[in-house]
Amino acid sequence: MFSPSNESVIELHNITKDYQMAEQSFCALDDISLTIKRNEYVAITGPSGSGKSTLMNVLGCLDNPSAGHYYLDQQDVASLTEAELAKIRNYGVGFIFQSFNLLPRSSVLNNVMQPLIYRIMANKTRKEMALNALARVGLSDKVNSLPNQLSGGQRQRVAIARALVTNPAIILGDEPTGNLDSKTSGDIMKLFDELHQQGHTIILVTHEAEIAQHCQRVIRLVDGKIESDIINSKELPDG
Amino acid sequence: MGNTLHALIQGTKAAMQAITAHGMRSALTTLGIIIGVGAVITVVAIMESLSATITDQLDDLGSDMVTLQAHTNPEQEMLGLSNKLSYDDFLMLKAKTNNVSDMTATMRAFSLGTSVQYGRSNTQTQIIGTDSSYQRVINIYPELGRFLSESDDLRRRRVAFIGSTVAEKLNMPSNPTGEFINLSGDWFRVIGLAEKRGKLFGFDQDNYIIAPFSTIRSLNGSQVTDNIDIMFTPNKGSNLDTIKAQMRQILRQKHKLSGDDVDHFKFVTAEKIKKQFSEITTAVTLVAGGVVGISLLVGGIGIMNIMLVSVTERTKEIGIAKALGATPQFILFQFLVEALILSLLGGIIGLALGYGLAAMVAMFMPGDGGVMVPMWAVALSFGFTTAIGVIFGLAPAIKASKLNPVDALRYE
Repeated sequence: MFSPSNESVIELHNITKDYQMAEQSFCALDDISLTIKRNEYVAITGPSGSGKSTLMNVLGCLDNPSAGHYYLDQQDVASLTEAELAKIRNYGVGFIFQSFNLLPRSSVLNNVMQPLIYRIMANKTRKEMALNALARVGLSDKVNSLPNQLSGGQRQRVAIARALVTNPAIILGDEPTGNLDSKTSGDIMKLFDELHQQGHTIILVTHEAEIAQHCQRVIRLVDGKIESDIINSKELPDG
Repeated sequence: MGNTLHALIQGTKAAMQAITAHGMRSALTTLGIIIGVGAVITVVAIMESLSATITDQLDDLGSDMVTLQAHTNPEQEMLGLSNKLSYDDFLMLKAKTNNVSDMTATMRAFSLGTSVQYGRSNTQTQIIGTDSSYQRVINIYPELGRFLSESDDLRRRRVAFIGSTVAEKLNMPSNPTGEFINLSGDWFRVIGLAEKRGKLFGFDQDNYIIAPFSTIRSLNGSQVTDNIDIMFTPNKGSNLDTIKAQMRQILRQKHKLSGDDVDHFKFVTAEKIKKQFSEITTAVTLVAGGVVGISLLVGGIGIMNIMLVSVTERTKEIGIAKALGATPQFILFQFLVEALILSLLGGIIGLALGYGLAAMVAMFMPGDGGVMVPMWAVALSFGFTTAIGVIFGLAPAIKASKLNPVDALRYE
């Protein structure tokens, strides 16, 4: 979907997000400007209530900013129709939710296949792609299980497989290791490293310093503003 | 186009999953539709087979037969008047009316009462005085023996042609011809047994005794003035209205009725009875239709209610679907198809139920007991249930399709 260049895939210009809560206005994002390039590996950190998740939702086209412009692959998101936004969510972005958001009554395979249901393709191809994504996260043996039969780490890997199956340019993870023990967290992070090496742009929200340090770039939010934007000593890709 | 078709197919799959996942709830949701459609099919099937049975029987009776009767309107009745048609009227009509070759007169045998005796048995029946022409007008045929002949009438013979119910009730031998029956003291010889005709409107059509007109007339004697019914069948291709106008003119002249006077007689046709009956069935069907319409409306609201609950309950699921790339159109189709499947499912079950009920009721009805569900009733039921599915499914489906993904995901 996106052009294969090192240009910025994500550009935020003065993004603001207000919530109207019982007569009171709450500013979740306050005038954020930010550029993320292709194949960057970014962590967004900050205390709770700092606007991390809101920023994630805006980046994933799940929520509209109150003001400002969001250019996704040089395209102004505000100008898109609901159907076009649905297409971006399906083809351009893989979203991994903090609470997994798996369908409890559907098997692991059906959960992973779900994004492909919204595409016109043969059911057989869908199944092959889903099995392939499950193999990548090491869950080939749990294909027919229901989500509640799996451990937290396994569920998170199903959620990752669901984000991977569409082969999106950008993978967004909202606290992908938030509910996991440190060993499982390590496994999951290895998975993100691999995805990064394969060329995906990865943006993770996390409150864990260890995870943040694992990434190449750490953006810290406080009260809806960018407090710091540090590039770790790790080697950056060209550009 | 491809997108729409794709959304429709995948939406249907998702809808089927949702319906089967909540089996009990789906069944209860469709209950309103099941009852509504079941009721409409039952009522229509019963009315249809009832009216078909009756139309058949009226056709047997000879739908082109016309009866001319004396008629006294209520104002004249209050004055103590009672109009009559006499044998002379009959003879004059028979002689002067064009285009009618089959005409007969019948007379009630007042003097003989209604009871008949044979051996030790007796029963109540209807005694009719008429002549040989009756057979051609009424289409009545002997099973055994013969019908009245002209000479029976000329010679005032005391002979009787009897219906099968009379023979049965009187415990007569299987061939009753030659036996004597007693009508209030007068003995009549049975000359023929009529073919069985069955029941009409629940009335036994085989409970009668026919005797020569002249015999009954002489037994009635002078104590009662003649009052006869005249029955006739217009010739094929002739115009009944012209015939009626001609008869009316003849009778008015003979009865010396001037300009403003009302007729002393009226024409009764089987066609008219059929029409009256069909008016009754139409009225019943309409009333039943109204009741059923209300129950379908209630059923539709039930579906809408459940669909709204379903949308609320599955808000999170809708949020996930939208976050993963489902278009609003896809969500719309999924919920619309779900409502449609629920209502159509109700329609199909209701149809089967109605058919079964109608078959059960038909067993207790007169006639050959066949159930007829006309195609229009089936088409109407399905048209109606489809409309209900779409109309009442639309609001919840639109609600679902317009949900904002973030808000939907946050819903617990």
